[in-house]
Amino acid sequence: MSKPSALTILGLVTTCAPLFWAQSPQAPDLPPGEMQAKARTACLECHEARIILQQRLNKAAWTREVDKMIKWGALVGPKDRDPLIDYFSVNFPPEKAPEPAVRVKKKQ
Amino acid sequence: MISRRELLKDASFLLAAAGAAQPVLSWAATQYDVPTIPGKDGMILRSFRFLDVEMPMEFLNSWITPVPHFFVRNHMHEPSTVDAAEWRLSVTGEVEKPFTLSLADLGKVESHTVINTLECAGNGRAFQHPSVPGIQWQRGAVGTARFSGPRLRDLLQRAGVKTAGKHVMFRGLDEVPGKVPPFIRSIPIQKAMDTDTLVATQMNGAPLEKHHGFPARALVPGWIGAASCKWLTEIKILDKEFDGNFMKPGYRFPNQPVAPGGSVNPDDAHPVTGLNVKSVIASPADDSKAKRGVVPIRGAAWAGEADIAKVEVSTDAGATWSPARLAADHAKYAWRLWSYSWEAAKSGEYTILSRAADTQGRSQPETAAWNPSGYLYNAIDQVKIHVEA
Repeated sequence: MSKPSALTILGLVTTCAPLFWAQSPQAPDLPPGEMQAKARTACLECHEARIILQQRLNKAAWTREVDKMIKWGALVGPKDRDPLIDYFSVNFPPEKAPEPAVRVKKKQ
Repeated sequence: MISRRELLKDASFLLAAAGAAQPVLSWAATQYDVPTIPGKDGMILRSFRFLDVEMPMEFLNSWITPVPHFFVRNHMHEPSTVDAAEWRLSVTGEVEKPFTLSLADLGKVESHTVINTLECAGNGRAFQHPSVPGIQWQRGAVGTARFSGPRLRDLLQRAGVKTAGKHVMFRGLDEVPGKVPPFIRSIPIQKAMDTDTLVATQMNGAPLEKHHGFPARALVPGWIGAASCKWLTEIKILDKEFDGNFMKPGYRFPNQPVAPGGSVNPDDAHPVTGLNVKSVIASPADDSKAKRGVVPIRGAAWAGEADIAKVEVSTDAGATWSPARLAADHAKYAWRLWSYSWEAAKSGEYTILSRAADTQGRSQPETAAWNPSGYLYNAIDQVKIHVEA
């Protein structure tokens, strides 16, 4: 059997990524970016992405939040701390529109 | 460059892979939907894990909030299982006779009922400017219920609190992830000995549901919800305030006014305890439309340990105010429903405001006191509506 090409691998990754990254059923995901994978492993082990998606903070506030979470056990190495703060600051700044409210569905 | 042949071969491989994964893909697609939470239909989902759900304002239409419409605030994971037969409540610390009770034992202690408006300290946080971290509650992290169970003081008196006992610590069965500090808080002995402070086992006449602390929770009336520890399993009398994260720096309010966006030294802040005076507009909804003519305006007002003295409504963005009618149902610690019948004579855009005042002389401010965690937000409420001809 011939090796799958780069396109095949890319396609598989794109197609199946949600299967592997879904950190819990029914949970939305964090936005794409270089630190997305790190944010998933560091943050979503304990809580889902919704808690992050609804925050609208400046860089100083994100710095306090990230440092607090590292103290509380989030696995973030020294080289990842600043890029992670930047990732959150860029994706969830104060000027971004609030996260739309969603309602709990009725059980069918 | 990829040839057409290779592209087709890759495409067929992908299609085969996608076909094989189809059941899983379907699962993934549906799992990204908003979840169902039995008993909480229609609530606003702030977080599923940990569970935080808010009551939409259209559900604020009764003095007693039905349990399905009662907000849920969890700091941690709910206990995965709570076996009522195995559950125990210990009373220890600065006491003469420490003891442990089963649920059956607790059921033999005289029960007392308190109708209490429970509000999360962070209710309204989403309206703080500049924005602050935390669950972005708007108006509905609040509800009123009948809580029943033994008085805490009866348990404390049975244990015999020593004179050194100054604070009463509550520990619940929350499951703590990582190195997160456990959700443990304490209240002063005076409030613990108040005849209205309970170890509640019932809510609206039924055993507490799991989201609300089954089988027992503290009920510290008139105080922020965080004081009323859920899944209670340990009561410990301390010689001073508990010094864990959720007492300090958590749940502290600045001693001095803070410039919006400023920082606060936790040593210059005090624990958040009683609720502020506050009113909210339940109807009409913000950004809604109404027909010209009589427009009913209604809502609720509460003041923690104080009583509501009056609620006023403005339909002209605060230029003039008129008294709202307070509904007959009232009880210490419980909100008052209020209503105002507005004759909307002309079509156009309107800003409707409500403000409450209480028996301690407090009144809702135009702007809430900003603080870094957004606690006790209570600015005059407002909704904008469009009146059609």
